[in-house]
Amino acid sequence: MRARNGFAVLAATALAATAACTATGSSNGNGDVTLSVWSWRPEDAAVYRQIFAKFHESHPHIQVDFKPYKSTEYNPILSTGLTQAGGPDVAQLRSYGILQPLIQAGDLVPLDGQVAGLSNFETTSLDGPRGKKDHKVYGVPLEMSTFQVYYNKDIFAKYQLQPPATWDQLIADAKKLLAAGITPFAAAGKDTWLLPLYDETFAATRYGGRDFEKKVLAGRAKFTDPEYVAALDVLNQLKPYFPKDQMGLGEADVQTLFATGKAAMIPEGSFALGPLKAINPNLNLGVFNPPPPPGALVTKPLQVGWVDASYGLNAKSQHQKEALELLQWMTTAEFGKLVADQLKQVSLVKGVQSSDPLLGQMVSAYRSDPTPYLMLVDFRYGTPLGSDLQAAGLQKMLLGQQTAAQAANDIQTGLAQWFKP
Amino acid sequence: MKRFFGHLILWAYAVVALAPLVVMVLDSLRPNTDVLADPLGLPKTLDLASYATAWTEASFSTYVRNSVFVTVGAVALDVLVSLPAAYVLGRQRFRGRGVLIAYFLAGLMLPVRLGILPIFYLLGSIGLVDSRLGLVLVYAASGVPFSIFILSAFFRGLPVELEEAARIDGAGEFRIFARVLTPLVKPAIATVVVFRFVPLWNDFFFPLVLLRTTDRYTLPVGLTQFFGEFQTNWSALFAGLVIATVPLVVLFLLATRQIVEGLTAGMGR
Amino acid sequence: MVQAVKRLLFLLPAFVLYTVFMVYPLLSALADSFWTWEGTARRGFAGAGNFTGLFTTFPLNRQLEPAFWHTVVFFLGTMVVQNTFGLLVAVLLVELPAARRFLRTVYTIPYLIGGLVVGYLWSLLLSPAFGPLNAGLHAAGLGSLARPWLGDPATALPVVILVNAWQYLGFPVLLFGAALAGLPPEYGEAARVDGAGARQRFFRVTLPLLLPSIGVVTILTFIGSMNTFELVYSLEGAQGNQPTGPGGATDVLGLIFYRVAFQEGGSNAIGLSSALAVLLFVFTFGVAVVANGLIRRRTT
Repeated sequence: MRARNGFAVLAATALAATAACTATGSSNGNGDVTLSVWSWRPEDAAVYRQIFAKFHESHPHIQVDFKPYKSTEYNPILSTGLTQAGGPDVAQLRSYGILQPLIQAGDLVPLDGQVAGLSNFETTSLDGPRGKKDHKVYGVPLEMSTFQVYYNKDIFAKYQLQPPATWDQLIADAKKLLAAGITPFAAAGKDTWLLPLYDETFAATRYGGRDFEKKVLAGRAKFTDPEYVAALDVLNQLKPYFPKDQMGLGEADVQTLFATGKAAMIPEGSFALGPLKAINPNLNLGVFNPPPPPGALVTKPLQVGWVDASYGLNAKSQHQKEALELLQWMTTAEFGKLVADQLKQVSLVKGVQSSDPLLGQMVSAYRSDPTPYLMLVDFRYGTPLGSDLQAAGLQKMLLGQQTAAQAANDIQTGLAQWFKP
Repeated sequence: MKRFFGHLILWAYAVVALAPLVVMVLDSLRPNTDVLADPLGLPKTLDLASYATAWTEASFSTYVRNSVFVTVGAVALDVLVSLPAAYVLGRQRFRGRGVLIAYFLAGLMLPVRLGILPIFYLLGSIGLVDSRLGLVLVYAASGVPFSIFILSAFFRGLPVELEEAARIDGAGEFRIFARVLTPLVKPAIATVVVFRFVPLWNDFFFPLVLLRTTDRYTLPVGLTQFFGEFQTNWSALFAGLVIATVPLVVLFLLATRQIVEGLTAGMGR
Repeated sequence: MVQAVKRLLFLLPAFVLYTVFMVYPLLSALADSFWTWEGTARRGFAGAGNFTGLFTTFPLNRQLEPAFWHTVVFFLGTMVVQNTFGLLVAVLLVELPAARRFLRTVYTIPYLIGGLVVGYLWSLLLSPAFGPLNAGLHAAGLGSLARPWLGDPATALPVVILVNAWQYLGFPVLLFGAALAGLPPEYGEAARVDGAGARQRFFRVTLPLLLPSIGVVTILTFIGSMNTFELVYSLEGAQGNQPTGPGGATDVLGLIFYRVAFQEGGSNAIGLSSALAVLLFVFTFGVAVVANGLIRRRTT
């Protein structure tokens, strides 16, 4: 079954080479051990080295060698690395469907009972690194992502606006901004991966969020059902308030539009907080979740969120004991705090507060009213990926090339090729 | 009057050809906030900060080094193996020569990219995935047909008397090849070197698939990484593009003749 | 005998390198296309299964046909620009010897800098938000012409073609220039004596003599177009297993091959992508060989 990821496995032979040259998990004469940790975040390398230096202070017999790889190529690199000698001891893992081939190939060690600190996480947090078949936990959750609407407080103040409490209010505010020559929502169309997230953010309430998830997984609902089609169609209703050139704009473009005050709101992820502040450090930001659109099955705003990454243990590691020590440390509040403050991510360790109040607001919204990023959480267990189908379909819909019903039909057709309720 | 229009077209197109490159250079010299606020503005001062960003923060220094290593290595290896083969194919008559020539020249039409998957396995089995050396081997091999094509034509054109005179002087096969004839095909070697250099320097597909570790990236893959990471810093993006472009423009200005010859050599096919 | 051994030594390095890293991979791809794969494991003989699979697997089956036509339009568009405007420029250059070298250099520089750099550069220039092109149109009072060039299904492919033509124009200019320089002047003289005008001389005398060069430009453009990848990748981006460009308007075969082989992650990626590679190769090579034969027959 591990063969599901074609490229991944075909790289199997390939990585032997890299692996052979990479001194991993070595020990010197003193019994000191160096753990090799792999990740897809080259941009965080400097911060990680500081974090692991902290670990070394309290665990002087363990050194950590942090090896980041290019994000887009990480999946094949990891799945081959795990099958070879010289792979990582501890590896950053993707979540949900994309993780399953590694679990089923037996490349990872289940951590239940081995890492006591797993009790520091909520059950939903542990769903990210959970095996679909055996329900065991294969990773220590690192961070989660949420997706919501950011707004520019200064612009809102200027036009005497508040975060909208009703859908009508949202539309009225958008009209007011439009009339004033300000783009209401800085929405991108060129980076299509954002489109499914926009739809979740504005319309998860319309199809029913977690209730619909349960039904569709049980085979009692389909993506062609009217509530899901209507949810896709919500973006059509918002199209007038997106930039006129939406399909020519990428994520960076719309972030810049928003951060430079040309747009009043932007639907973006928790991970965009840093980049937005980087473009304009004086940006006065607030966040909200859109009120439910007409006909919504859930009557209060929902917070989209999903577990993004975790750290797991290579079954072939020569240093299981030390690797478990590191993983145990990753469940502590000390590490969670470093994730929140240094990596500027939403740590999932219970009780760890984000230093940034906006991140804190996102987390607490997710704790009280969560909804999944459906296509990522549940429909990446086969190809074609649900998120790809939805992204391509929504783009065509927003271009006026097809209706919401046709987009829904493509999603259903594509997923039916591998998804069995 | 007609001549005037002719000149107008030529100079107007020269502007079209150059304007994007001029914008690229000008914007790389402006602070990013200016570039975003006023896309049509000119640099007020010479601000080289973006080059510093690209060169150090985005490790363009590493990418340039890797590109130089891979490109120079591949072209050198290509010429090194193609020269003796072209010499034999160009100057000696033996059974199977025609078949061999056809075998090598068929490569001019083979799209090597389509073999990327098997190349990937092959390099994997000898431990050369994510390795600059692996890239050198693939690039050198893909250049062999063109090099043999150009070089053997040149060898063929050299007068037979040279060889005979050397033989009478007691020179062996290797000496004739290395000391007598090879110096005479230097212009062809220059053509091959310059002409192979350009596509290899620019190639994106093979390093995209075959390299993983950031500090082994060549310029084009590095540029992709750079465009992902610095996407809101347009000034730095333009600076990165300039860095990727300058070596080729310099090469071209130094070796226009070889490039023109290399391009027009394609006609002979 | 000794001679033969020496000869072998001279030939062997090139032969081995070329065979191992170029011929063998392509033959392997051919062989792989006839098997069913599960990751890297060969599962069973597929016969034509992978080839039919290309046209029955959703959403691949829906992507292939448009991508094929985009590729063809990409080729035709580029070819037309090169063989008309490129030819015009080459002919005009003959009459401007003073600046010829300089202009030729200027025209060739975009060709040198490569598809990826060209694509990234133009993606910035054409950006609807901060790009100088739309800003320039607005400044010139032509704001109504400004549009999201790469995000509008109506303009995306034409723009990609124009950028490609912009990049490669120096190539036909050089080739035609060399061909024009090689034409025997007597032909033109004879026609002039017969009283033919400049236009007539061009169409009756020069153009027929240039046909071989036009053929070469066309064939090389064709081969390049069928494999085009970098330019579209850098202009329009590539996202997961989705068609590239607005509504897939600029999806081309080279990108589909890359996606199936490396991005989509289906278990039979090797089988399907090898089958696609074989089809692409057969089509490209077949057309090129036939066209080449036609040209040679016409000209000898």
